[in-house]
Formats: sequence, C-alpha cells, structure tokens
Amino acid sequence: MEKWYEKTGPENDVVLSTCIRLNRNLRDYPFSEKMSRSHQAAVTKCVLQASKDSCILDRFQLQYLPMEQLTKTEMVSLVELQLANPEFISVPEGRGVLLSGDESVSILLNGENHLQVQANEAGLDFEKAYRAADELDSLLEKNLTFAFDETLGYLTQNPMNLGTGLSASLSLHLPALQENGGAARISASLAPLGLSLRAGGGKGSEPKGAVYYLSNRVSLGLSESEAISNLQNIAMQIITQERAARDELVQELEVQDTICRSLGILKSARIMSYEEFQGLISNVRFGISAGLITEIGYEIVERLSFEMQPATLLVMSGKKLTVNERRSLRAQKIKEILKN
Amino acid sequence: MLCESCGVFPATTHVKTIINGELSEYCLCAQCAQKLGYGNLTTGLGLSVGSLLGGFFSHMERPEADVVRCKFCGSTFDDIARSGKVGCAECYHTFYNRLIPLIQQIHGNAKHRGKVPGGSQLSVNPQTQLSVMRSELRKAIDSENFEHAAELRDRIRALEGEGQNGKMV
Repeated sequence: MEKWYEKTGPENDVVLSTCIRLNRNLRDYPFSEKMSRSHQAAVTKCVLQASKDSCILDRFQLQYLPMEQLTKTEMVSLVELQLANPEFISVPEGRGVLLSGDESVSILLNGENHLQVQANEAGLDFEKAYRAADELDSLLEKNLTFAFDETLGYLTQNPMNLGTGLSASLSLHLPALQENGGAARISASLAPLGLSLRAGGGKGSEPKGAVYYLSNRVSLGLSESEAISNLQNIAMQIITQERAARDELVQELEVQDTICRSLGILKSARIMSYEEFQGLISNVRFGISAGLITEIGYEIVERLSFEMQPATLLVMSGKKLTVNERRSLRAQKIKEILKN
Repeated sequence: MLCESCGVFPATTHVKTIINGELSEYCLCAQCAQKLGYGNLTTGLGLSVGSLLGGFFSHMERPEADVVRCKFCGSTFDDIARSGKVGCAECYHTFYNRLIPLIQQIHGNAKHRGKVPGGSQLSVNPQTQLSVMRSELRKAIDSENFEHAAELRDRIRALEGEGQNGKMV
C-alpha cells in the first residue's frame, strides 16, 4: 500500500509534512505514572473495544501492534517513520499502537497519555490532518469517557498539555536558513510566541538534512483553530524567508555544482552511510525547488528520506545486516528507486 | 554531569533520541535545551516543573497530619510538585486551587477554549461561544484571512439560527 509520505502536498518545496496529535486520557483510570500493568491492560481493552464499536478499525483500516511483540529495530523504525517518539519506545511494556495501512493515522496507547491520536499529511495541510485526527477522536469519544474539565479542557498528566491537548507540528526543510544562520535566529524569537522551532534528529543544533520541526507549545486558552492558524501564519513567514534565501544561495556556481554532484553520487555510489545520505538528499531536494533537478520529484525524495533510515531499511529488508552490508544495501536501494 | 552540547553547565534535561538506528539519550543544560527547542516555559526560567511547583508551595506550612491525598489515586500535592506529573483526573479537582497558579504561569490563560467532548456540549453557553467566535472573526478580518473569516461567518450564522429556533440549550 502506498504510504502517506509518498504523496506530494502544498508548499512541498519547504514543508515536508504536517502532523496533528491529540492527547487524551480516560477519566476512570490514573495517568500513566500511576498506572499498574492491569490498568494498562484495561485501558488497551477499552480503547480496542471502543475502536471496534465505533467502526474506526474498518474506517481507517487500523491494526493493533503491541510494543512487546516488536523487536528493538522495529520499534526504532516506528520513531523514524514519525509514528512514535523515543520516549514511548524506551519503555515498551504495556504500550501499543493502532496503525493505518498507509501509516497516515495512528493511536499510541499508554504512552505519556492514555491515547495520542495522530494524523500525518504531506506538505502544509493542517486542514486535512486535523480533520482526520478530529474525526478519529470524535468517533472514539462516543464510546469512551475522556478526562475533561470545562475550565482546564482535556486533562493530561503534564500540565503543559492541558486545554485542547493539541500538538500541531510541521517538518520544514530549511537548507538556506540553516546556511545563513536564519534558522537559529527564528528559533530564538519564537519562544515568546508560544511556538518552537527545533532541529530534527540526532544531537546538535544543525541537523545534517536541514530538517526542522515547528510546533505549538501553548494548548490552554487557545482553540484548535487559533493554535493552528498561529502556526500557519508563522510557517508562511518562514517559508517566504527560506525561499528568498534559496534564491540568493542558488546564484552561486559552487552551490549549483554541489547540488548536481549530490544527485550524481546518489545514483552511482556503492556504499552510502546514513549521514552522507542525509546531506546529499537535502541538496537534491533544494535542487528540485531551484529547478536544477527535474528528473525526480519530491515524492521520490520523501520516499528515500523515510525508507533509507537505518532501522527502517533493516526492517524493510527483513535481514540482520552488519554496518557495511547496510550501507551497501542503502546504496543499491537508492539506485533502484532513482531509476524507477 | 555536564551538558553534552556546551560542556559548560550542569545537565538538567534528559532527552531520548534516535541516533543512527539506535535509541540513545543525551543530557542538556537548561540553556541548551531551550536553544535546541527541547526546553519549555519552565526550563526557560532555569527551573524544572517540579521545582517550580515546589516554589509555589514552599512558603506555606505543611503539617504532615493535614496532608490531603487524592481519593482516586492517592497522590499528595507534594508528589505532584516533586515529579511535575499529575496523578489522575481527580487530582485536578482535589488540588485545583494549588494547581491553578502554576497552570496560569505556564499557559498565561487558564480558561479552556476549543473542542469539548460530546457529552459536555450542552453545558457550553452558546452566547459565550458566539462572542468568542465573533472576536475570532474580527481577528481573521484584521489579518486578511478571508477564507477563515467566511467560514467563521457561516458558523456564527448557523449558531445564531439554532439559538432562535431554540435548539441550543
């Protein structure tokens, strides 16, 4: 089945994807820190039964994966595919995920909150992502009693997430703003606005693939539509700045050369580390937006970006590989996908 | 332990992350956590949520015999203050007056706006909802977000219509 990230979406030159998460807890069970294994089992049972009764299993083609039945690599792959967070897989006991076939919709069970309903869309598409998450939430609500207070909104273990329980985020590709220092400046200026711009993946403030996450922090006192519209406004300003910075950067012959060489290396390398891949694919993405690369589109870049990640590559190959074997497989897969 | 990013200040925030296909953890000081986007409004002040909560309460006397426990999960306010984590939904009611100042400090505004679960919808005053939507409409017009404004206008009309027909309780 085609995955959600293999599609293109609005403002795809800068915005990789949109993610909406809704944090919910059941009124009649303690929050996660106070839960026993039997509480966890009961919450899982309630949610699975409610999913069945409200027909969402069929409607969204959801399948349940208990974390304890997955290997470490499979769990890490869930994080790479943006379906779980590192904190969630660090304690797999009693946890699970309901996942749709195209991976666009998922529900994490027994993480920091009893449920985290999530919807992903390609490009900048808050409307579509929110609609899916909201529909799932509203259907579940018919058969579950969520912890809610009229003043504080949806009740959560961490008071930071009270209110709508909404966490909205965008993955942004900001190679030019990273290069000219704009990303760090924007990041520092967003905190007072209740938003955050964080470098994606690994340690350090300058990610290899120039991927950043823009998300809301304040969830109480702002409605879902206000929080989303704030984020959308800031995103549009960042997009405009990134495009202007790219126009300037791409004038340099050296930059053009780096972009075109990057595609050449991806097409012909025999060994490819993930770190090298991240830098090259970021250059290629930039090249597509600048019109220097026309033979492939964003959907191929996205597919590669997701499927060439270390754990995901292993899971998809179904084999146990050494580091060198993995690098060689990555180079081979990249060539195959680029050829097609 | 020192911060793994700057190597200067003591690490206070532990962040789990995936590096090259492996789950790992790195430790940051409050400043770097903030800089890298892992901070929150409390690490921004150089405090953990726990110490912030503790701070609110430290000036008050707490005789052991009078310790109030949540009837549902058994948490005391001290438990919540130490961990920064609320035990259950009932804790919010049990410790409401003590939690509100913290919540206001974090969110600035302690009144929920937005979605309410189906069961509670009838208790929402339609006039409150209308006034919120009208102010949202003004903002949308001011910011020239006409598509959103048109959508709000239609929703306001629909709500006003329902009110007149006596459908909304």
